[in-house]
Amino acid sequence: MTVTQVVINSIVRASELTLLSLGLTIVYDILKFANFAHTEFAVVGVYLALFLNVTLGLHIILAAIIASFVTGGFSILIDRAVFKKMRSSSGIIIMVTSLGLAIALRNTIRAIWGADAQNYAVPLQTPIITEYFRITPLQIWIIVIGLSAMFAFHLLLHHTKLGKAMRATSDNPELAQASGIATEKIITRVWFIAITFASIGGILIGLETYILPYMGFAIIVPVFCATIMGGIGNPYGAMIGALVLGFAENFGLYINFEKIINLGGILNFSKELFIPTGYKPAISFIILILVLLIRPRGILGKKKEG
Amino acid sequence: MGLINFLAYLAIMMGIYGILSLSLNLQYGFTGLANFGQVAFFCLGAYISTIIVLVFKMPFIFGLLGGMIVAGFFGYVISIITANLKEDYWAIVTLAAAEIVRIFFLNEDWVVGGGPYQGGSFGIGGIPQPLRSLFSAYTYPFFYLAIVLVCLLATYIVINTLTQSPFGKVIKSIREGDNLPLALGKDVKRFRMKVMAIGGSFGGLAGCLWAHYHGFVSPNQFLPLETFIIWAMVIVGGKANNKGAILGAVIIMIFYNSTRFLKDYIPIEEVTLASLRMVAIGVLIVVAMLFMKEGLIKEKKTIY
Repeated sequence: MTVTQVVINSIVRASELTLLSLGLTIVYDILKFANFAHTEFAVVGVYLALFLNVTLGLHIILAAIIASFVTGGFSILIDRAVFKKMRSSSGIIIMVTSLGLAIALRNTIRAIWGADAQNYAVPLQTPIITEYFRITPLQIWIIVIGLSAMFAFHLLLHHTKLGKAMRATSDNPELAQASGIATEKIITRVWFIAITFASIGGILIGLETYILPYMGFAIIVPVFCATIMGGIGNPYGAMIGALVLGFAENFGLYINFEKIINLGGILNFSKELFIPTGYKPAISFIILILVLLIRPRGILGKKKEG
Repeated sequence: MGLINFLAYLAIMMGIYGILSLSLNLQYGFTGLANFGQVAFFCLGAYISTIIVLVFKMPFIFGLLGGMIVAGFFGYVISIITANLKEDYWAIVTLAAAEIVRIFFLNEDWVVGGGPYQGGSFGIGGIPQPLRSLFSAYTYPFFYLAIVLVCLLATYIVINTLTQSPFGKVIKSIREGDNLPLALGKDVKRFRMKVMAIGGSFGGLAGCLWAHYHGFVSPNQFLPLETFIIWAMVIVGGKANNKGAILGAVIIMIFYNSTRFLKDYIPIEEVTLASLRMVAIGVLIVVAMLFMKEGLIKEKKTIY
């Protein structure tokens, strides 16, 4: 594998993670709890798209759009039924509740669609092959969608009324409410935006690999790592976190650590030292620990009291 | 399996999960530490004890102590990283740490000496049961049940004494926010680390008991799922109440095991049933958090 190829793989991974971590971070920003059901919502979207695409025969793009909007709406319903009753509870209580919700969602999906891997009905991708790398049209799409999502978030936060209201609600909910911002309305919109983006991210991962009920759990650690790394509650941090993690996961397996372990030639332990592929899920975790040890509030973390 | 054997099995499982539930209750219920990786202690206890007893041919009691020490040490190491962090970070770090432990045992079969003991994804079989030769196949489960109950009682006494001591008052004040204990000059970080070490070693104890009862351990017995079942026990039984933690373990274990027989009565596939069982566990957590915040047995609140 060439370096160019690893860079491309890293950017694709970062784009997917961005779509998921942006939503997680704005929900945290407004509601002040770590939503462990976030990636499970994404999987709901993935399976809805599967139903629309395979069972009903819709085109994948149409299926993905409808499924993501429906999932966004579904998250509002869940918010009304569960989280709305807990607005005054502490973050840890809501977090544990979201964990229960995550278990229920994941297993409902497994009960309906089964535990086997499935695929969308899309034609086989013919990759563009050059001397240095190969890339599928889908991967190009993933990168384009990831970049557009980042740009859209920037516009949303700084150039819309909703973005201004969101930032105000995040800083001080009581003050925002007193200034005539309908906090509940903002919360509803934040859920919709966050989960719609998450669902698109999930569907893209499903398209690139395959669909499993457990894919939500498989990405929860990378998504949380990306979010926390950048400073939880900070959308720009989530983007940087996703980028760092995308590169770390791919380069972590690519780099030969021989020089480091042998102290640049002083020692002679082994000729080749790669991280075994079985440990790929561990990379994001190790990076997370390193970041938390150096900067407990993340790379772009806000300073808050207590 | 006869009814009496099934009941002995059920009681042993209740005992083992009761220990896990008490351990998590000490961490979450009393100290407010959201450990989403409780299964790591369970896994470490099971594996370390297996290695000590099976590979190094040492007596059961050394396996038990070894498992407790290593799992407790692991809890201590994890809390070095997390001790200064907020609870949201605590949850994700412990969840990830538990997965790393599992991935480690999945990938490294040399830790059990490989070869005759297999290891890795195949798991390790033939783990000796303590004093097995003294009993018949019929009476042995009852002897093992006695061991489990003694361990459960010991765990209960230790954790109950701890939580009623001045130590318990400090950790409860940590749960309510760092400012009060800090104002009283308590080193909050050290207390959190101690709680994780104690909680971890009891989690390890449960793992040892589990491994030597089943005689087989493999990495996919220690999925994050187990952690969530233990959480359901603490939340349903009543957090910050040790009797509640045991009651929660009893209720969830009865529910979890009795639903297995459903497939004999209604036409439903094993996989679907397993999923529905977990749906029920998830819904139970949500409903309990919404409508029954204190759990079945409430925390005893004393006013000084």
